[in-house]
Amino acid sequence: MKHEVREEAAGVVVAFDGDVDLQTSPEARKVLLDCVGQGKSIVVDLSKVGYIDSSGVASLVESFQSARKGGQNLVLASVSDGALRVLKLARLDKVFTICDSVEDGLTAIG
Amino acid sequence: MTAKEVIIFDQLELLSEMSRDFATSRDMQASLEKAVAHITDYVKADGGALFMLDEAGENLVCEACVGATEITGLTVPSDQGIVGRSVQNHSAEIVRDVQNDPNFYNKVDQETGFTTRSIICAPLRVKDERIGAIELINKRSEDGLFSDDDLRLLETMSASAGLAIHNARQAEALVEQEVLARELELAAEIQRSLLPAARDDAFPVHGVNIPARMVSGDFYDYFELEDGRICFNLGDVSGKGMNAALLMAKTASLFRCLGKTIHQPGRLMALINEEICETAARGMFVTMVGGIYDPRSGIVRIANAGHEPPLFFDASGTYSFFEAEAPPLGITTFLADGDRYPENEFQLEGGSFYIFTDGVTEGYKADGSELEVEGLIKILKAGASKTAAQRLADVVAAIQENGGVLRDDTTLLCLEHKERVDIEKTAANDPYAQTMADQWGDEIIVLEFPSQPDRLKLVRSAVSQAAAFCECTDEITQDVVIAVDEALQNVIRHAYGNRADGEIKLTISRTADNFLVFIRDYADTIDVDEVQPRKLDDIRPGGLGTHFIREVMDEVTFLPPPEGRGNLLKLVKRIA
Repeated sequence: MKHEVREEAAGVVVAFDGDVDLQTSPEARKVLLDCVGQGKSIVVDLSKVGYIDSSGVASLVESFQSARKGGQNLVLASVSDGALRVLKLARLDKVFTICDSVEDGLTAIG
Repeated sequence: MTAKEVIIFDQLELLSEMSRDFATSRDMQASLEKAVAHITDYVKADGGALFMLDEAGENLVCEACVGATEITGLTVPSDQGIVGRSVQNHSAEIVRDVQNDPNFYNKVDQETGFTTRSIICAPLRVKDERIGAIELINKRSEDGLFSDDDLRLLETMSASAGLAIHNARQAEALVEQEVLARELELAAEIQRSLLPAARDDAFPVHGVNIPARMVSGDFYDYFELEDGRICFNLGDVSGKGMNAALLMAKTASLFRCLGKTIHQPGRLMALINEEICETAARGMFVTMVGGIYDPRSGIVRIANAGHEPPLFFDASGTYSFFEAEAPPLGITTFLADGDRYPENEFQLEGGSFYIFTDGVTEGYKADGSELEVEGLIKILKAGASKTAAQRLADVVAAIQENGGVLRDDTTLLCLEHKERVDIEKTAANDPYAQTMADQWGDEIIVLEFPSQPDRLKLVRSAVSQAAAFCECTDEITQDVVIAVDEALQNVIRHAYGNRADGEIKLTISRTADNFLVFIRDYADTIDVDEVQPRKLDDIRPGGLGTHFIREVMDEVTFLPPPEGRGNLLKLVKRIA
């Protein structure tokens, strides 16, 4: 899995590329929590994440909760079918704000 | 025949006809009218009326009349009038000078313009039971006066009519009672047919249900699924009588019907709960323990909806209870666990699992005290060497000693599988090989790899390809991949504690209907109870994996730990 962090006016866009699983979720978690730690709101771009497992979902939840505590926002954008299936299994599709595109995501956190 | 004999013959003929009519006709009113007409005609009177005493015995009501004046429905107090006097005194009356009789009820004459000259009246009675009276008015002769012979004739015929009416009434009441009894008996029969047929001693489930009344608010059931697993339940509907019996029938039917396709007791019961909440009469509810037993793995999964805690004796005789963690069915659709009742999972391992209703523990022993749970445990322990059916019979006998009358519906169910333990003891050394050889499908691929997270992507890819090879749909493939990945994570993180040198063996096979995955590890045997899905409304990181697996797979079973150490998890996804 690779990742890319891009600064925008409304906050940061974190784009992951590859599977977020037991192997890679610690890295995803660190990237997200670092951004939260910098007091930024985040759009997580999942367009290139074909697979996310429970540990990946857990990283998203932890970052989301941490962001909320700091009064920041964390939204998901361009969620692939595979990732959406897992979010639905966890009933988290109702917890996260899920945007169709990164642009929508930036509007949502802005 | 002499003239007198002819008269007697005629009378007998008339009497027998009257009796026959009352006995065969279902229309009491018509029979009464016929009787009055016959008698009036036979005695040659202008008119006749038959009065019956009402239920309270306060009034005499004219139920049938003929000739002269129409007075059907006329009501006179039972102690007034000539007819009243006759009924009160149990005696026949003849009044030739009607207009001067102080008891004569002259209102009818006044209203109709009819002139009553002479009356004979005889009571209808059987022994001391007053039924009413028959009154005849005016002899059809010039002077219109009755003779003593007429009176005797009427007396004779009234006695017979009285008996006929009495019999007809009793028959009517009897028929009514019989109809009710027959309906109740039918209901009881249908209820009994809802209970499963008793099986031989080798079968793992046995039950007993004895209604305190004709019908029962308790029930139990068990049935086998095609894959050999056994669904069972025992429930108790609040209240007694017909309404409880009907709700019992409904709940039992829902369980049996839905239980054939939904194999998770917690989810199955949540669905039944929704149905009952939606449609049951206010205030009625059902406590129930539902479960599923897999004879191959020995694993029992149950859910308890507000029922008396079931009792489990392990093989050593130590017992424990499974307290209800959710309310009875029919109370609320708001469940703490979202869409299911909480489940418990345990290994039967030569133990015995009992579910029972409070009719058992609150039943009276011979000395008048309640059996209570302690008493039940004592009997079950004492009968440890008996068959399950005998043990259940012992419990029932203990609370039926008091004249055989039960305080409440009494129902028990026992799950035990002694034979399985024997089978296991003699089974081959490698249950894994055994399992595979038995019936668990055609092998597609076997993978062996170390317990390292970086292998998961490879394995996912292999599982995905294997599913495609079996022509699974994209959705099914996606779900199977999720389940296997999560199960492997559990092995790596929990069984092996993130050690990198653990061995994992993954076998994929298929049957006509199912896609099967077996995951074997060689770590310490895990406590199945701890592998529980977490509550979903409790949003926090972690603990989701087991939930995913159970959600997407049709069957998730830990098979008996293979010889030595380790765990064997079986995942099944229906693909047909």
